[in-house]
Amino acid sequence: MTPHSPGTDQIDTLLWIGFVAAAIIVVAINFALIYAVRKYRAGRGAEPRPREDGRRIQFRAAGALTAFAALVFVLSIVFTEKANEAPTTDSAGLASAEAEPLTIEATGQQWLWRYDYPNDAFSYYKLVVPVDTAVELELLSTDVVHTWNVPDLAGKRDAVPGKTHRVVFRADEEGTYTGESASLSGQAYAAMRTAVEVVSPEEYEAFLEQQKADIQAAQDRVVGLIEGEEAP
Amino acid sequence: MSDRPRPEIVVDGFPRQRPRWLELATSADHKDLGRILLGGALGFLFIALIELLLMRLQLAIPENTFLSPVTFNRMLSLYGATAIFLFAIPLALGLFYYAAPLQIGSRGTALPRLGQIGVGLWVAGATVLYAGLLFTPSEGGVNPLAPLTELAFLANNGIDAWATATGLCTLGFILVAIDLLTTLRNLRAPGMAWRRVPVFAWAAAVSSWLLIVVGPVLLAALTMLMVDRNFDGVFFADGSGGAPLLWQHLSWIFFSGAYMLVLIFALAAIAEIVAAFSGRPLLGRGVVMGSLVAIAVLGTLAWMQNMLTAPIGTGWMYFAMLMSVALVVPFGLVFFNLIETLIGGAVRMRAPLLWAVGALSAISIGLASELSHSMVAAGWRLQDTVDSTAATHFALVGGAVFGGFAALHYWFPKMTGRTMGETLSRISFWTTALGLVLAFVPLFFAGALEGQVVDAYKFYDGTGVNAYNLIASIGSFVLAIGIVMTLVNAIQSRVNGPVAGHDPWRGESLEWLALSPPDPHNFDVLPDVRSAHPMRDIRAAIANRTSRPETQAPERQPVA
Repeated sequence: MTPHSPGTDQIDTLLWIGFVAAAIIVVAINFALIYAVRKYRAGRGAEPRPREDGRRIQFRAAGALTAFAALVFVLSIVFTEKANEAPTTDSAGLASAEAEPLTIEATGQQWLWRYDYPNDAFSYYKLVVPVDTAVELELLSTDVVHTWNVPDLAGKRDAVPGKTHRVVFRADEEGTYTGESASLSGQAYAAMRTAVEVVSPEEYEAFLEQQKADIQAAQDRVVGLIEGEEAP
Repeated sequence: MSDRPRPEIVVDGFPRQRPRWLELATSADHKDLGRILLGGALGFLFIALIELLLMRLQLAIPENTFLSPVTFNRMLSLYGATAIFLFAIPLALGLFYYAAPLQIGSRGTALPRLGQIGVGLWVAGATVLYAGLLFTPSEGGVNPLAPLTELAFLANNGIDAWATATGLCTLGFILVAIDLLTTLRNLRAPGMAWRRVPVFAWAAAVSSWLLIVVGPVLLAALTMLMVDRNFDGVFFADGSGGAPLLWQHLSWIFFSGAYMLVLIFALAAIAEIVAAFSGRPLLGRGVVMGSLVAIAVLGTLAWMQNMLTAPIGTGWMYFAMLMSVALVVPFGLVFFNLIETLIGGAVRMRAPLLWAVGALSAISIGLASELSHSMVAAGWRLQDTVDSTAATHFALVGGAVFGGFAALHYWFPKMTGRTMGETLSRISFWTTALGLVLAFVPLFFAGALEGQVVDAYKFYDGTGVNAYNLIASIGSFVLAIGIVMTLVNAIQSRVNGPVAGHDPWRGESLEWLALSPPDPHNFDVLPDVRSAHPMRDIRAAIANRTSRPETQAPERQPVA
């Protein structure tokens, strides 16, 4: 898994901070535990050492823990804010999306994602977006809670029925990024996958036109079949 | 008049002894009820293991077809409900219910019939959950999120059975908690102020408060769910004024509280064990007791930590993160004081302490990774991956299985008069520890590095997680073997274990003054409690008396 959007870069950094924080806790506690039970294993007739039950040591421990927690909290907020910053379209990106991000509707339904593009074209399963362009997905759901999850491009976001949830990313490299839904949504949940195909702005424009024409052709054929009474 | 026979008193011997099971089933004694909860919980641990193994078999190889998707979801739902409602919480409550009244020197509980009804409701809930196997168990997962649970999406009775079962169990827990809290509030031995209450009994009070606060929240949510499903309600339905997110808020409040309850139980039991087996009183008793309260409060307030991917404001996410990151302080202080008590003590590495140290280690790994999950942006990557499965299992298997087994080994002599076999216990410990590492450490990698999603009935070849899952599946079998060894050990030792005295571990609190097993009325005489460790005082008084010449008159009252 490699980050391919400014937001996921920040997520990756915070992930490493979290890993280090967790490692410090695990190592400190487990080493102290092993030391305690190895060093102070009692022989026959051993007596425990007397001990002064001071308040100062408790305050020191609480102070150190509070400092650690505060550091983790502040770092988390800093990097979360950075990850939340909406990226803007680069010069290499789609020209029409320079001021406002390119908005695409992503609708989760059992067990498929549907993407609706600005020119009324739509696609299932595969989302095609231009490279170096800020893309805003509007996550919707027609039935149950789904989680849109393409870890290379953005953090997880839930699509909850009745709510609109937004996720913004800017893919920095052409290629295909895959993801799996991450909320149990019923029987075929594990099959609910998606792919984001990042292409050049020209290819994206061409895809939109092609997709629109294909959809129109398919519709015309269905209408023709119905009118010709070849199909009910 | 005189020829009438004189009245005669006929005695047919002693009243007939009723069968043992009938006595147990109709008893309102906290020790019997505690043993029912504990025994039931250990039985359901075995069943939960079978469900876990079935799921892990399905996930051993990519795109496996061993279980159908529906069967997998049913196993997942049963496993979640069993592990939480039929194993972890009743195990904690059972041991609290057994030991806490003894620890405070009470001759019974304050509201025994209430506790009896509570345990009865729990048995009813367990029956409903598994009666669901006769038709269709729930397919909604561990915490079935609305609106998947609405009639439109899961039309069979599985969700109804799940909601009824968990509702009955929760109601039962609340009643037991009320009895426990009333007992702890009113029936403490003379001289036992709150500051002298043993840490485990204190934890029983904290946990009871916690259940009384979060239990009704889940009951309310379940009631709404039942109204939605059966009476055309719209509480969680989208549109018509319903709010799917409401379910998440309410259910996560309960589940966060339950998570904290298991950890509070484990840490408090470990505190008793650490004090007994290091031969000296717990360092920073007051700090540990205060920390347990802080864990209950902060941990429950951090419920939105589970909703970082949901459409809620970033401010709420920061609030949840503040609560969970703040948990570092109370958890850290408890760990610090437990380890500091061991350092410099005369440590006897008997089975209870072995399991306790294992529990501390596992809980530390679980909680440390939960910390990284609560760091908002990192949570967007880690949540809903098998990394969170691994973190939760390290913390809760550490708390409920390792901590629970530590407590079981510790109080087993009190319950049965016999100790559990030490050799089998050690073999079981190392097998279980190895199993835990093998079963869940690979999932940390699969989740954090490759993003394998949670709850899925299959994973795909070529996503880089094949080896991780295969190791995890093998590891869960090792884990199961280890756990089963201790279950067997407990069953065997009830009749065949080495006979233990009334105070085999030289514990600190009053349950070790009672007989093993205790009489129905717990104590013949009760000492005046003068400190936080009355048994230590009693031993000192006895040593004092026997070392002096016999001229001294025997004291009329046991002194503590």
